[in-house]
Amino acid sequence: MTDQNWSILIPEIFLFIWALFIFGLDLGIKRKNPKILGYSAMAGLTITGILLAIFNGGILFKGMFQSDQLAIFFKVIFIGSAFMAVGSSFDIASEKIRHHRGEYYGLILFSTVGMMFLSSASELITLYIGMELTTIPLYVLAAFYKDDKLSVEAGLKYLIVGAFSSAILLYGLSLLYGLTGTTDIVTMKINLSLVFLSYGKIGPGLILAMIMVIAGIGFKLALVPFHMWAPDVYQGAPTPITAFLSVGSKAAGVVAFARIFVNGLIAFASDVMKPLDWGIIVAILAAAAMILGNITALRQRNIKRMLAYSSIAQIGYVMVGMVAASELGIASVGYYMFIYLFANMGAFTIATIFNDKTGSDGIISYSGLSKTSPIFAAYMSIFLLSLAGIPPLGGFAAKYLVFAAGIQAGYTWLVIVALLTSVVSLYYYANIIKTMYFSAEEPTIKIHPSFPANLVLLISVIGIILFGIFPGPILDWALESAKIFAF
Amino acid sequence: MLQYLALASILFAIGIFGVLTRRNTIGILMSLELMFNAVNINLVTFNKYIGPDNLTGQIFATFVIVVAAAEAVVGLAIVLLLYRNWRGIEVDRINLMKW
Amino acid sequence: MEVEVSQLVFYLLSFVIIISAIYVVTLRNIFHSALFLILTLFAVAGIYIMLNAEFLAAVQVLIYVGAISILIIFAIMLTSQLANKQIRQSNEQVMIGIFICSGFLLASLGSIANTVWRIVEKPLPENNTLTMGKLLMNEFVLPFEIVSIVLLAALIGAVVLARKEGA
Repeated sequence: MTDQNWSILIPEIFLFIWALFIFGLDLGIKRKNPKILGYSAMAGLTITGILLAIFNGGILFKGMFQSDQLAIFFKVIFIGSAFMAVGSSFDIASEKIRHHRGEYYGLILFSTVGMMFLSSASELITLYIGMELTTIPLYVLAAFYKDDKLSVEAGLKYLIVGAFSSAILLYGLSLLYGLTGTTDIVTMKINLSLVFLSYGKIGPGLILAMIMVIAGIGFKLALVPFHMWAPDVYQGAPTPITAFLSVGSKAAGVVAFARIFVNGLIAFASDVMKPLDWGIIVAILAAAAMILGNITALRQRNIKRMLAYSSIAQIGYVMVGMVAASELGIASVGYYMFIYLFANMGAFTIATIFNDKTGSDGIISYSGLSKTSPIFAAYMSIFLLSLAGIPPLGGFAAKYLVFAAGIQAGYTWLVIVALLTSVVSLYYYANIIKTMYFSAEEPTIKIHPSFPANLVLLISVIGIILFGIFPGPILDWALESAKIFAF
Repeated sequence: MLQYLALASILFAIGIFGVLTRRNTIGILMSLELMFNAVNINLVTFNKYIGPDNLTGQIFATFVIVVAAAEAVVGLAIVLLLYRNWRGIEVDRINLMKW
Repeated sequence: MEVEVSQLVFYLLSFVIIISAIYVVTLRNIFHSALFLILTLFAVAGIYIMLNAEFLAAVQVLIYVGAISILIIFAIMLTSQLANKQIRQSNEQVMIGIFICSGFLLASLGSIANTVWRIVEKPLPENNTLTMGKLLMNEFVLPFEIVSIVLLAALIGAVVLARKEGA
């Protein structure tokens, strides 16, 4: 307990205090100038990012708080997605959310704090509590349009599914604790190998535990077959919250998955350990996610539902990198999430602005957008093409890396499925672009986003193009972060 | 020890059944509480028989109780919102979007 | 002799837990369900005492029985039409529900029985409550602090949602 470096907790503590400050500020300004709240939330997130760059590296509380490269990498993604969600909220905050604007922004920050703690946790209790701190504010935010039945319904469904998946996850975690007598993930790994070496088997209890944990986290990630809730919640919730859900909360689930499986249960990722191999289970689920997500997305007429199914498919691609369970695999997952942050947040931001202006989420109402707002049509095209994985945008490099990791680990069939479904996905992404550019209908809508929303869009576009052409820096960083796991 | 684990898994299964079949939203929330209780029985049992050196399992169970309370609070607030919007809280009536 | 008594108590408590849990998920009258939920929670507290978790039993009675159940009963009284007891309370998924939950039950019982558990024959630390308190303030102080943020978030969220706006 001598050389504890307490300063690595500063980013989280600062963000928490900043959220409290925003609650207070809301009382202070008495709803006169709602923009101040949004700008201060963005400022708080920026400062947190800077603090994170200064105070990092180290372990506190015996691994309950690890400020390693993986945690920092994902914390940047969380802060980025919260920043963009806040930035795209300005218009709805001034019109649709007349009450509790401070709580709206503050709860987004609370959820971000939860994600940050979750990504640093190398211990099951802290990991679980961090996950709850991530989701409980999101239940409230999903139902934030209190008079809108769709939003309340989204909140209810998200809460029921979220609590149900927590219970399932907890059951799995309790079995892991029972099998190893510890909640520390590294000790867990050692104890499991000890049992395996001394008895020659562990038994089906471990399989049950792994299935329950995969199901529990799978619900949070909206991995097929635990995805049923996602389209409804995505459609009903306020759009910036949907974007935050689809990027931030998914990235949190990805970290939790990596910590538990790729770190704690890495020994059980190969054929040698049959039938205790979790890789094959996840590979099958990933294939199902890619097939079902992409094919269902083809039929959607509502842009938010389409993006929901597309993000179900996207998490399938991420899981291809995860099952590889190698350094390249984890690095490709990190890189994928980083690009996904820009592309998905950008697409949802345009959907938010558009809905705010027209009150419609129908894909058909985007027709002719290129004539009235050529810049936004171009932005949207870039986001969609990146999601589809067209070079030279970021999405291409991301998909390439994930597939390379999959092949390297011997999951060739999975990569073939992924390639084929990517082609399918191109169809529905391109369909929106076609609607925007080549529709015969006379366009009527012209969109003027607020300054913060413009900023978010600009950051996303630059990020996608820059890191698509020069993937080097991010990839090196992702590879560095993957080194924390001993492969 | 096995008898306690068996009790927990029976309780958990009853909870799953309740979540899947209840129409009333509050009924679903109550079934969820049953599931959390089953998990806690598991944790406390393992604490006594597998890891008696410290009280990690009981600490975990305490945290689960606290989080379950937080979830119940938010859940019941949403139930009140539902009632205000629909004048009823049966889940199959609350289905503007298809599942 | 003592062992047999504790066995007897265990079976009694399990019986109460299982029967009342079944009532919780099947009764038509949601208010009665809530009362059976309280009974279940009490019996679970009894199980905790049998497993030498006295502090947890007290927490269970205080938080679950004392707070959550009362909250649930309040919510029922605020929302349900209690007079109309004939409202159908379960949906069409009963068969699927039975299928899934018995599937889970078979899988879990089977795997629990066939797994190697490293049982350590050793008494738990003396003075349960004192040890728990020390652990919460030393080793587990980080989750303890985070869970307080969770409670704050839930509190703020519940107020935001449940409050009626004065338009």
